Amino acid sequence: MRERRTMKFLWKRYCRRIVLPIGGLAITAVMLLPIYFTVESSLEPTSVIQALSQSLVPSHFVLSNYSFAFNAESGSILTSLLIGLGAVALSIGVGLPAAYGLTKLGYLKSRAIVSGAILVLLVTQMVPGISLSLAFYKLFLHLHLLNSIPGLIIADSTNGMPFATLVLRAFMGSIPVELSDAAYVDGASEWRTFRSVIAPLAVPAIISAGLFVFLFAWGDFLYAYTLTAGGNVTPLTKGLLNFFNNNTADWGGVLATVVLAAIPSGLILGFGQRYVFGGLRAGALKG
Amino acid sequence: MSTQLPSDEQPPAQAMWSVRAEVGADEVPTSARPAGYDGRGLPGSDGATRRARPIRPATTLHWLRSHRQHAVLLAFVLPALVYIIIFFAYPLVYGFKMSVEKLGFIAGSGPFVGLHNYKVEISDPVTRTALMNTAIFLVVSIIFQFSIGLAVASYFNRRFFLSRFLRSLIIVPWLFPPIASATIFSIMFAGQGGIIDEVLRSLHLIGSPIFWFDSSFKAMFVIILVNIWIGIPFNAVLLYSGLQDIPDDLREAAALDGAGPWKRFRYVTLPLLRPVALIVIMLGIIYTVKTFDTVVLLTNGGPDNGSQLMSTWAYQLAFTNFQTGQGAAVGDMLFIFCMIVAFFYIRATRREVVMA
Repeated sequence: MRERRTMKFLWKRYCRRIVLPIGGLAITAVMLLPIYFTVESSLEPTSVIQALSQSLVPSHFVLSNYSFAFNAESGSILTSLLIGLGAVALSIGVGLPAAYGLTKLGYLKSRAIVSGAILVLLVTQMVPGISLSLAFYKLFLHLHLLNSIPGLIIADSTNGMPFATLVLRAFMGSIPVELSDAAYVDGASEWRTFRSVIAPLAVPAIISAGLFVFLFAWGDFLYAYTLTAGGNVTPLTKGLLNFFNNNTADWGGVLATVVLAAIPSGLILGFGQRYVFGGLRAGALKG
Repeated sequence: MSTQLPSDEQPPAQAMWSVRAEVGADEVPTSARPAGYDGRGLPGSDGATRRARPIRPATTLHWLRSHRQHAVLLAFVLPALVYIIIFFAYPLVYGFKMSVEKLGFIAGSGPFVGLHNYKVEISDPVTRTALMNTAIFLVVSIIFQFSIGLAVASYFNRRFFLSRFLRSLIIVPWLFPPIASATIFSIMFAGQGGIIDEVLRSLHLIGSPIFWFDSSFKAMFVIILVNIWIGIPFNAVLLYSGLQDIPDDLREAAALDGAGPWKRFRYVTLPLLRPVALIVIMLGIIYTVKTFDTVVLLTNGGPDNGSQLMSTWAYQLAFTNFQTGQGAAVGDMLFIFCMIVAFFYIRATRREVVMA
């Protein structure tokens, strides 16, 4: 009996330090294997990637894939960057005041309006892009927004705006009502309260929502593909497809382009992690 | 669940406190307080404030001011409303209009033909393949995404050395642009020199190269695999946060009662996780059914439309085959399906929506 107890104690003690971390490492390694393969291969000449004996570390280290990919896609990277930033500006610019308005209306016994608005925002996130894109094409044709960065900013914000509003509203609901109350007593207008009290407090949520909107817009392929047909505006996602189709044999170049397309994801993982987790939670679970 | 609102946690005390606040607040000159503003925004305090309300004089000024504040707050919401009307409501209505017209080239126009496009598409064998593929894609993806995601989440639900770091790394595939993930897998599954092929060959599982994209079965296999890979992190992160909200005491109590790990999971964790799990599954369905990028890059619907999904088929009809009316009809069928799922999603989260 005593022996068993000692065993249990030892097991518990080493579980956390050795057994569980090894298992966790294994799970993570399996999940990230394709990404490791990509980064590793992008640093090798294509002939080596295709050679039959692959190694775990680059055997012939080259950067030529990256210079080739970057020269081919630098225009696309700029386009995607502009679209991403534009979508963030539009989504937050529209979503932040809306979140404030909805939060305050919720305090004013206008809960029917608020619930209705939240319902609409939730439903809009569930509309498949392909159903919208055909109509967008015709609409943009008349508005001369096809093959344009503003057009793609507007289209990409259909993913970002409702999400940003929901995340921001969920956050503002957690700001104590006494704060805007105090601002009111001090004679601040709604606009002033919004601008000087609530918006500064909501900065973490704004960053979180902004990161997601940027990632949505940066990674968008559907609108990039349907609304730029035959034009010269090529976001990176579409650029990647073109690059892939034109250089099917140049695996090194293709994988280097993939790495370029994934840079924002990597940066966000490195610097904005807690915002990502917070936003994902608020956006999906809180509604 | 973290989504519980304050009202759930502090019922009677809150209401009492609210009455006191209301009484105290009435000592402040009414002019200094926003009219119609009951001093307490928290749900659950409603009954109390309603009772306290007649104390305040309902003057015309009062009424005016209350409506003015409503108007100001609605003005904050207005830009979002305008955006949604122009870029959601209008395109949806317009898309429906396109689906009931005999429309060829997307930039053209055509006469009204009623539900003709829908009838044509329902009897089209490719649409049936696309429907079937979408259904298989959906069911297989969700089952694996969810169960693997749950396994990963449960594993990381314990604290151990490196757990935080590894947990944050696992989310990476989900942050990747889907088209980039599809490109990676396309190269990994290449028939000649692709790494998958090579590994299988070195294990002597296959003799000659496998061409993964030459049959619809194999093509669907790869597409589903990619989608599962993209979906696992999403499921894992949300389920993890659901697991974290289940208090440890419950599991400990069950353990004291002699429940083993499996019983604790089955009879304590799983039932408590149900609301989050439902939400995660429904969001998974919606994200999966919208899938477009990965299929376009991996197979473009081929071979011979064998891996066509509803989304890619709608695209192909409209932009490649110049049968825009029918493309719009397929797009609307997909839309209707999404709205049915959305209905259940909202029913599952209704409590939160109404209370918020």
